[in-house]
Amino acid sequence: MRVKIGFEVHLQLKTERKLYCNCPANYQDVPPNTNVCPICTGMPGAKPLPPNEQAIDAAIEIGLMLGCRILTDRTIYIQRKHYDYPDLPSGYQRTSQPIAVDGELSGVRIREVHLEEDPGQYDPVAGRVDFNRSGVPLVEIVTEPDIKSPDEAREFLKLLTRALEYTGKVRPEGGGAMRADVNISLEGGGRVEVKNINSIHGAFRALNYEIMRQKRKLERGERVERETRAYLESQMITVPMRAKEMEEDYRYIPDPDLFPLRISNQKVEAIRRQMPEAPHLRFKRIVAQYNINEEAAEVIVSERELADLFEQVAQRVSPHLAATWFRTKLKKVLNYHGMRAADVKFTSAQLAELLQLVERKEITPEQGELVLRELVVDPRSPRALLEKLGLKPLKPADIEKLIHAVIEENQPAVRDYLSGKTEALNFLVGQVMRASKGKADPREIRKRIEEILKEGR
Amino acid sequence: MGRTLEIREQIRRGEVSVVGRVQQFIERIKKEDKKINSFIELNPQAIAEAERVEKKLRSGERVGRLAGLIVGVKSNINVKGLRATCASRTLEDYVAPYDAEVIKRIRQEDAVIIGMQNMDEFACGSSGETSAFGPTQNPAAPGRIPGGSSSGSAAAIAAGFCDLSLGTDTGGSIRNPSSHCGVVGIKPTYGLVPRQGLIDLGMSLDQIGPIAPDVEGAALLLEIIAGRTQNECVMLPVDRVEYLSRLNRGIKGMRIGTSSKFAELTDPKIMAVIDKALDKLRDLGAEIVEVELPNLEKAMPTYYLIVSVEFFSATRKYDGRKYGKRIEEVCGEEVLRRILRGAHISRREYRGKFYQRALQVRTLIREELMRALQHVDVLVGPTVPKLPHRLGDKLTPMEMYGYDYLTVPANLAGICGGVIKAGEVNGIPVGLQIQGKPLGELDVLRVMKAMEETA
Ligand SMILES: [Zn+2]
Repeated sequence: MRVKIGFEVHLQLKTERKLYCNCPANYQDVPPNTNVCPICTGMPGAKPLPPNEQAIDAAIEIGLMLGCRILTDRTIYIQRKHYDYPDLPSGYQRTSQPIAVDGELSGVRIREVHLEEDPGQYDPVAGRVDFNRSGVPLVEIVTEPDIKSPDEAREFLKLLTRALEYTGKVRPEGGGAMRADVNISLEGGGRVEVKNINSIHGAFRALNYEIMRQKRKLERGERVERETRAYLESQMITVPMRAKEMEEDYRYIPDPDLFPLRISNQKVEAIRRQMPEAPHLRFKRIVAQYNINEEAAEVIVSERELADLFEQVAQRVSPHLAATWFRTKLKKVLNYHGMRAADVKFTSAQLAELLQLVERKEITPEQGELVLRELVVDPRSPRALLEKLGLKPLKPADIEKLIHAVIEENQPAVRDYLSGKTEALNFLVGQVMRASKGKADPREIRKRIEEILKEGR
Repeated sequence: MGRTLEIREQIRRGEVSVVGRVQQFIERIKKEDKKINSFIELNPQAIAEAERVEKKLRSGERVGRLAGLIVGVKSNINVKGLRATCASRTLEDYVAPYDAEVIKRIRQEDAVIIGMQNMDEFACGSSGETSAFGPTQNPAAPGRIPGGSSSGSAAAIAAGFCDLSLGTDTGGSIRNPSSHCGVVGIKPTYGLVPRQGLIDLGMSLDQIGPIAPDVEGAALLLEIIAGRTQNECVMLPVDRVEYLSRLNRGIKGMRIGTSSKFAELTDPKIMAVIDKALDKLRDLGAEIVEVELPNLEKAMPTYYLIVSVEFFSATRKYDGRKYGKRIEEVCGEEVLRRILRGAHISRREYRGKFYQRALQVRTLIREELMRALQHVDVLVGPTVPKLPHRLGDKLTPMEMYGYDYLTVPANLAGICGGVIKAGEVNGIPVGLQIQGKPLGELDVLRVMKAMEETA
């Protein structure tokens, strides 16, 4: 059965101030109703200040990040969207007309990006409203219904939040920063909108529930009506919203207290010049430029700072080696410590130095991993860490000496090997390893012994 | 020198006491305003404010340009600590928690605020009768309405209850009562005076302006409240204005436009007064030019569509949650009529038919007035097409809206307009309206000043 899914995703922008007043935007860090003023509480006679430039620039950058066309040199009205709810102090929410249109992210078309203000937070049990959040800037991203399954939807939302986190202009997901409405229709049924989704996981569950519900209806020969439903996170189900909420006519009018926005080409170009590369584009470039596999590249671009680190390291060591280490060892160590790449304290030069030691076979990959674990908690030169861990690297000449000594002392085993008993080789390698106190690389030793014995034959 | 500047000089020279004057005014208001009903609330801090100014004066400290002058404020402007009721039950308990930008400015210039003035409820009215605190009387024409919606602000000046008033004008609310009460009033160019702290009627039309007993008083107050602030979006790029030093240039050589359209819409008895005033201006050296205003009468219905939609939007915050009362449940007839009209015509299905169409006609009217003002310096004519009715007479809504034909065009076009008494009909004042280009306040004031001197 064909499924069509589209999203309206709201994310808070990471600005210092609110959108239309000078109150700080860190609404979660302060007691209720302290980040407020006559403007963001809609006191009679209060007028909005000119819109926060930081927020407008962020919306433009997000539009660019999603491959959109920015609507430059035209009038973009900031409209009043009227509805009646306790958290809305003026009885309307200010929402801009589209700032960016016609984008694309991983095969999903982005219809538009626009700017909104967040309402306050209503606690229906206490009957109280906290207006700290009122006026915090939001960006709303609207997609076309191009998504075909809950899995695809989850993947899309992950890519979307990653792309937006790349800009550094949104508040990180979680803490109620991401909110989404989803519309979903099955072949032969009406379009159902589900509101009140607060996480990627929630979206996935809501969609699974909704597909099942609609499928059953259609299978029983019932009709799926066009309607608006709410997702109840605690019960993981969707329920119909009241008829009144669906019929709402927002009576949009341009806000007479604000000049419409007008975005110049120069502004867009200036933002484009300084913005980070979009992750999906960076993925393609990294794969091509460094000739590494897609699996590793996917891990590398998962965080902007991780990709930055990779590209710096790949200037100094083999990109292939670096990619392997990033995909397996580095990611593992960071996960273990619950760290993001943005949190690491060591430098790209230190990491590169470590990989060079491995690359030149001065230390084994196993030793390298031990050093890496140490590097994350104690960022300093890998050589110093080797010292600290008692892992002084062996010079290739020392290993060579050890190998020759073992061959000399174990002629019976050598003869066994030469007569075809290949397991004798394991014994010889073991002897070298023991002599090196585990500091040599067994693979390298095995290769070298084989070479020497072949030559000697 | 006119009366206002003369008083200012006497105060500066210490010849009259600021505290003494405030006490006198308060006493007079307490006695005589029972009849006029121009104030809703007096400022309990007025004497203390006066004492502060007086102390400054005595110690020889530098004082502001309004030092000691007594100002009344229309009840839709936030004055911290006083009730900004908008003359409505909806906000009868709303004590302003902050000063409007214009109030900050007049305080900075050492004015004394005497109290909050009566008005039509939420500025919805042209008669001063829709206040929840009772109608205001016209001191200049007893038994008649004072006009509105800045009814208390104009009546208080006419009755001598304060030196200056701050009124507001969305479709004539300064000019209409100024005309009926025989005082001076100016509606500034849209975007010249900050609206921060002005409680909305029609946000794209509202302007705060002065009402005064003389032209210099109005010019002085306008100089102080005009000029942009970074804290407001929709303002013109003007930092400060200067009128007082340039008022007395006369009007010789000025091109004054007038239109036959005015006479079509106006009571002939009023037109007779206006024509006489035009003759005087001609005698003073102005050139009177006929201009075309073919769409003028379309302004009124257009205005009522736009103002209703904006007012509907502005009143959504009075939902009963924050200010105690839901506006629709406690407001008067005219306020409710506008809210319902606004809700109706902004509905999705009617937008195109009414609201969008109204915006188109607004553009048409703006272009027409701008075209006319290309050829002349100012447009001069009547302010109100009818004489004020007797208090208590019942008018239909359309009859009431008929008062606004000549004042709403300036609001729709965003231009400025001033009113000065031109004469009387049966003892009832008749105001001459002088409309100017955007930011053409100086030209308007020069004509007003010239007219004032002929009296
Ligand atoms: Zn605020």
